[in-house]
Amino acid sequence: MSMKDFTYRLGEFWADFRKETSGLIGLGILALCVVVVLAEPLFLPYSDVNGNWRNISYWEDNPQAAPPAWTNLFAKEKSATTSRYKSPVVTDEDDPEFGAVRVYTFKYGYKFDKAPLDIILRAKGTGMLFMNISIERPDGESVFLGQVYQDGLDGDPIRFAVETDARSAVYEFIRNFASDEAISNSDSSNVKPTDIIFSKAGENMLSAREPLKGEYLVRIKIPASILEDGTNTIEDLRLLVTGRVSGVLGTDTAKRDLYSGIIAGLKWALFIGLVTSVISVLVGVMYGIICAYFGGLTDTLMSFVFEVFVSMPMLPILIVLSAIFKPSIWIIIGSMIVFYWVGPVKTVRSMALQIKEETYIEAAKALGSGKWRIIFKHMAPLLLPYSFANMALSVPGAIVAESSLSLLGLGDPSIITWGQILHDAQLSGATLNGLWWWIVPPGLFIALMGMTFAFLGFAMDKILHPKLRTR
Amino acid sequence: MSIDKNDVILEIKDLKKHFAPHQSLAQTLTGKNRKVVKAVDGISFAIRRGEIFGLIGESGSGKTTTGKLVMKLIDPTSGTIEFNGEDVTKTDKERTKAYRRQVQMIFQDPYASMNPRFKIKDVLEEPLIIHKIPGGHVEHEEMIVKALTEVKLNPPEEFMGRYPHMLSGGQRQRVATARTLILNPLMLVADEPVSMIDLSTRAEILHMMKDVQRDLGLTYLYITHDLSTARYFTDRIAVMYLGRIVEMGDADDVIDHPLHPYTKALIDAVPEPETGKVDVIKELPISGEIPSPANIPPGCRFHTRCPYAKPECSAEAEPELIDVGNGHYQACRRYKEI
Ligand SMILES: Nc1ncnc2c1ncn2[C@@H]1O[C@H](COP(=O)(O)OP(=O)(O)OP(=O)(O)O)[C@@H](O)[C@H]1O
Ligand SMILES: [Mg+2]
Repeated sequence: MSMKDFTYRLGEFWADFRKETSGLIGLGILALCVVVVLAEPLFLPYSDVNGNWRNISYWEDNPQAAPPAWTNLFAKEKSATTSRYKSPVVTDEDDPEFGAVRVYTFKYGYKFDKAPLDIILRAKGTGMLFMNISIERPDGESVFLGQVYQDGLDGDPIRFAVETDARSAVYEFIRNFASDEAISNSDSSNVKPTDIIFSKAGENMLSAREPLKGEYLVRIKIPASILEDGTNTIEDLRLLVTGRVSGVLGTDTAKRDLYSGIIAGLKWALFIGLVTSVISVLVGVMYGIICAYFGGLTDTLMSFVFEVFVSMPMLPILIVLSAIFKPSIWIIIGSMIVFYWVGPVKTVRSMALQIKEETYIEAAKALGSGKWRIIFKHMAPLLLPYSFANMALSVPGAIVAESSLSLLGLGDPSIITWGQILHDAQLSGATLNGLWWWIVPPGLFIALMGMTFAFLGFAMDKILHPKLRTR
Repeated sequence: MSIDKNDVILEIKDLKKHFAPHQSLAQTLTGKNRKVVKAVDGISFAIRRGEIFGLIGESGSGKTTTGKLVMKLIDPTSGTIEFNGEDVTKTDKERTKAYRRQVQMIFQDPYASMNPRFKIKDVLEEPLIIHKIPGGHVEHEEMIVKALTEVKLNPPEEFMGRYPHMLSGGQRQRVATARTLILNPLMLVADEPVSMIDLSTRAEILHMMKDVQRDLGLTYLYITHDLSTARYFTDRIAVMYLGRIVEMGDADDVIDHPLHPYTKALIDAVPEPETGKVDVIKELPISGEIPSPANIPPGCRFHTRCPYAKPECSAEAEPELIDVGNGHYQACRRYKEI
């Protein structure tokens, strides 16, 4: 088939395809998916998610099990969202305690009902560093958070998290207001430091908190003497206020951003689905043609082998296989092909039996054409359109099968798939804990991907199948 | 007029093709054999180099089956096929391929005999590719142009880019002829090449085929059910009935002086040209339908429809084809009386 010929047929196909609404919807979603895969970095808030999905420290600044940010829209009490600050205001001041100090100030406007989960300070330092960290509240109160002293730094990261490093300091702040009785009545380990920091001060600030909205200043003081030394430097000072809600799709219990996981999983879903279906359909189509064309004993034997494969239950055998071999995406795809190639065989065989009787096949034989030329030049091109439809229709199965394997913990740990996200959710009891944002999106995406290809496949089947009429 | 052995290009001896019906295991075990279809049931003839040999008979008489046997598209149940003095009944793959370079076939249905997805150019290049004829696309194209010119499809370039469905039946049959000519064969099997073509163009196509045959010195096995074209087109004819040849000889001789009652009936059925209604097909002046080849009448197989049949025709053994002189053969035991 020449190029012009091909474009002509493609044009013809497109003219029919345009009339199939569901096919167009499928094509639209697929196009969107391809765009997302190609421009993946643009869609990923965490651009290194691909190598770091199972790297706990990569996600440590994220809130744990936080619902998606947009849930605020429907909540009566608004939860703090995550915000990041990069360049602090630098001033030189005289401090009653430390003398001349350089002060780095971050401004944080708090306008929520539920306090952030954490306030994290990060920097890179060299030599010796001393920092005094405090926060000034809109009501004029100042909360001392803690001090950092580190020596022998060589561009090492410095991390100060209120949640872990400022607990005791924040309790000191409570003592200024609440009575000893109230403090001893409350279970201190239950109270988050950030809850205190962002609540109105008062006698019962432990039992009945009210949010204190307004402008907060996080102040980092470093004695001027340290910085004047020249060998001691602080760089890249950043403030991160960890929200109670996070990202487009929230986080899981390992603090991973689920939206990044879903986006990164898209390409694997497409890859697994397409590779599996394309290879298995090609194998199946060839198998069907060969059965039909050679006939006789070959047909009988091959049909028997086919029946054996058809009657084998896929999932149990896949489970055993993945348990024996180290789960890798190639083994998974390979073993899925072993089960999926049977899909088109029956239909193709019966269609090929018909084509085989065409006079032009006999004419080709009379010209001296060999078996394989007839199979590849005269029979396969006619069955190809049908096999395209079949490929599209078998993509969903492959995606779901991989997800099922992953759900059973037999996925390839070096990649991210939606099935694996579901598996993790199941392990952590996401359903019991109400972490719906961990379960619904990957499930929905698996279904959406299946639907997309099913739409495409049905439309193609409808158009291409009657084209089997050969003249 | 006897045939000189050296003159013969194709000789068929006692060729039979019996189609065994598919049987289930149960049928085999219970011994309920379904009857075999004796499509060709012992025919012998020889075709001379450079002649047009016509095979004539009603539908179902086994003409196409004979053509396919000659083409080696199906294997005979028994009998031999000799081509150029060589027995080609059973050949290996290579020899079969070489044989098909020398013997080519034009099929009855010009609409079905070409892959609808091939352009005319591809249809014609296929034999060149199959037989690895040296030369690239340019040389092949030259050969294609030459073949198309031979069958008078002008201008050839215009037809090369078309698909079969863009051609008329007559044009397709010209292409089909060109496809067989491109390999320079010695012999063509033409299975009712004009029966599916518009009446008005039939003569043209037959003219063209005859011209080609003369130009290239080809031999034709021309299969038809149409006696009127046979007279004009063929040198010799064989009349087939239910898998057997009942009469054979020079075309004029057989048509002017038919000896076998079946041939007579066929000739009576040919409409008179004078009436000008060429396409009126008269009923055969014999009773009934052609019997099923799965259930051949005993004795002379024509006796069930023969107006001259006597008890001995069904009781005695099947009459053989006998030479009545002048290369004229016939197979009726009572031909002298009728
Ligand atoms: N593959 C086959 N299996 C079984 N029977 C067959 C097969 N091919 C042909 N026949 C039978 O053999 C008989 C002769 O068929 P054939 O096609 O040779 O007739 P024909 O003379 O060419 O008739 P027509 O003028 O209709 O083409 C028919 O009764 C047909 O049904
Ligand atoms: Mg026929």
